Amino acid sequence: MTSANGQVHAHAEIDLDQVREILSHFKPQDHQEAQELILSALQEVNEHFGWVSLEASEVVAEHFGTTSNRIYGLLTFYADFRTEPRGKHFMLLCHGMSCYVMGSQKLVQELSDRYGITDGGTTADGELTVQVVNGCLGVCDRAPLVKIDNDFYGSLNVDSFNDVLQRAIASGVQPSHA
Amino acid sequence: MPEQTLTKLASKEAFQSFRSAAEENWRRLWEGSATVVTVGVGSSSIAKGALDVLAAFEQIASGRNDLVVRKAGVDGADWMEVQVQVKRSGLPTVYFGDVTSADAAAILDGSSGKAVAVDGDASLGGLPTLNSLPFFKYQQRIVLKDTGVIDPDSIEDAIARGAYSGYYKALFEMTPEEVIAEVTASGLRGRGGAGFPAGIKWESGRKARATPKFIVCNSHEGEPNVYKDRRIHEGDPHRILEGLLIAAVTVGAERAYNYIGGEYPLAIKRFRKAVADAEKLGLIGKNVLGTGKDVAFRVRTGGGAYICGEGSAMMYSVMGVRGQPRTKPPRSVEEGIWKRPTVANNTETVSNIREIVNNGGEWFKQFGTEKSPGTKLMTVQGPMKTLGLVEVPMGITLGQLIEEVWGGMLDGYEFKGIQTGGVSAGPLTPEHFDLPVDFDSLTDVGGMLGSGGFVVFDSTVCAVDFARYLTAFNRVESCAKCVPCARGNPALVEVLDRIRLGRGSLSDLPLMERTSKHVIELSLCGLGQVAPMPLLGMMKMYSEEFRAHIVDGVCPTGTCPIGSHALTLAAAD
Repeated sequence: MTSANGQVHAHAEIDLDQVREILSHFKPQDHQEAQELILSALQEVNEHFGWVSLEASEVVAEHFGTTSNRIYGLLTFYADFRTEPRGKHFMLLCHGMSCYVMGSQKLVQELSDRYGITDGGTTADGELTVQVVNGCLGVCDRAPLVKIDNDFYGSLNVDSFNDVLQRAIASGVQPSHA
Repeated sequence: MPEQTLTKLASKEAFQSFRSAAEENWRRLWEGSATVVTVGVGSSSIAKGALDVLAAFEQIASGRNDLVVRKAGVDGADWMEVQVQVKRSGLPTVYFGDVTSADAAAILDGSSGKAVAVDGDASLGGLPTLNSLPFFKYQQRIVLKDTGVIDPDSIEDAIARGAYSGYYKALFEMTPEEVIAEVTASGLRGRGGAGFPAGIKWESGRKARATPKFIVCNSHEGEPNVYKDRRIHEGDPHRILEGLLIAAVTVGAERAYNYIGGEYPLAIKRFRKAVADAEKLGLIGKNVLGTGKDVAFRVRTGGGAYICGEGSAMMYSVMGVRGQPRTKPPRSVEEGIWKRPTVANNTETVSNIREIVNNGGEWFKQFGTEKSPGTKLMTVQGPMKTLGLVEVPMGITLGQLIEEVWGGMLDGYEFKGIQTGGVSAGPLTPEHFDLPVDFDSLTDVGGMLGSGGFVVFDSTVCAVDFARYLTAFNRVESCAKCVPCARGNPALVEVLDRIRLGRGSLSDLPLMERTSKHVIELSLCGLGQVAPMPLLGMMKMYSEEFRAHIVDGVCPTGTCPIGSHALTLAAAD
């Protein structure tokens, strides 16, 4: 049903030349600095493509003189990284405490009930990937709030949340990494 | 203002003349005949269309020389975002709130009804003064002095308003011992939550014998309701940078780091710009201002792991590995980044340093309370009227914050409690409204100042479900290195889920207390040691509600799925 297992994007690939281009801006002076830069480089790759593939991890590992196992360890520890492709649109659903007390739990529930997706999942049609934010998007006066691609939608209830989902997906907004 | 090319300042005198020129430009901007429009642009106002507002004003101003349009950070009054300040020649600044791009023309021709307040001591045209509004009345801005005033991307703006004056003093006019003496005398305590005296930390760093030494600023800020450090980065990045540079020359560190949470792109962007500009001016690098001192600076970014706010975990993350805390000793001031002595300070802490160096420790002590001197950035969230970020003296009461600064509850909402200390302490109720908010006073009643984030919740929020949310947060964010935290928190969530389904028994209450005690006493780091505190607080404060779920089989607010077979999906499950 969902593509949390990557079914929808079985053939998704990351252009490794673009990864190398991103990495070319990271020029560590020594081994210590190389290690310090790994996370930043992974963030740029993740930001650009929406995820980091195994092949991309290997390129990053090679650039910094480390192993892809270590890279995978980082990708799975830090919440911002994805090891599977995103759907066409990407939504951050703020589930910080301010959003919780204003009802974000109902939105999380609605996603599960109506769209069959949980944190990190992608809808069956491949249109929308959701990341539930445990931290805070910092716009607490509009709680509960989501960010779809580059736009924020605040003060939501279940009905307006559904409206937003339909509008944002139907309008064909391009994801920021395309 | 046109971007000026920045060139290296090789001496004390070169800096002085750069500063004079910047001050002169600043004076001319505000005393000139042109109208100055300032749009507050930060991550929170961008979410409400601030960039469109800025573009609308810029479009009107293009080709005109009687109108200057500039951006600043956001000043904390989130409830009136998008905020626009208009300064006309010879008149005080007028603040407009809730502005959209369609309002631009009306604001300029004076026909807009969105004016909220006016700067200064006298009201104007029926508008109240800014400082008479309850949201601003209690504020004492030291850290946020220039946030919402200067353009965060302009080092000239910052220097015109006094940036690097403390650094200058530490480089040319004071010995490191004198700087440490002032910081110690100020009584400044770490703003990250633990409240450890900053002066003592610096002193141990200076005395550490191994070299090289490092300074690291903890700007991770992963609490699920706090954005104070993010706002300083977005509004006044040079203040943070200057504090770190002062720390570096004082402690004798070769390099300073700032570790910023990766989920705050604008904060990272503006801070990186600040570092790049300071490097161009020669405030960072080899032979700073001709003193012969070298200071290097590196920005490192995290990846969305709450645990990286813990000191040792943060340092592992800086070193490019998983952020999992280690046992202490050795303390990080003995063995930190790359096993070298490392002094770690919170963003808000270092943001106080410039003013302390400039004005002295005694000056700082006039604010706040005896044991918690100075101010504190605080955020109260929830169904309140005037939400945002304020800087108030330590010792303000909870009641003043809730009823005045935050304007009380939104219509139709009934106050139930206020969660303190982020996810690390328990809730408080109206009987605690008279308590002063500082490092020590809330702890006695089961609350905590922590990083200054408070969340008010109303009568529709179920105490059991909220306790479940808070415990689940800590469960998900546990790094899973030590067993008490990795296994104990999931066990607590399991019991809470049982109660939410109406299948709990009274013996579950002592079971949760016992399990909590294990987690608190046996966990390796600060996350586990406080993880069950919200649960214990909720159980104590709302024991009747827990009993109602268990004994009567009802959830008084109707939140919990009692009687159903399926569990409600909750926080990041």
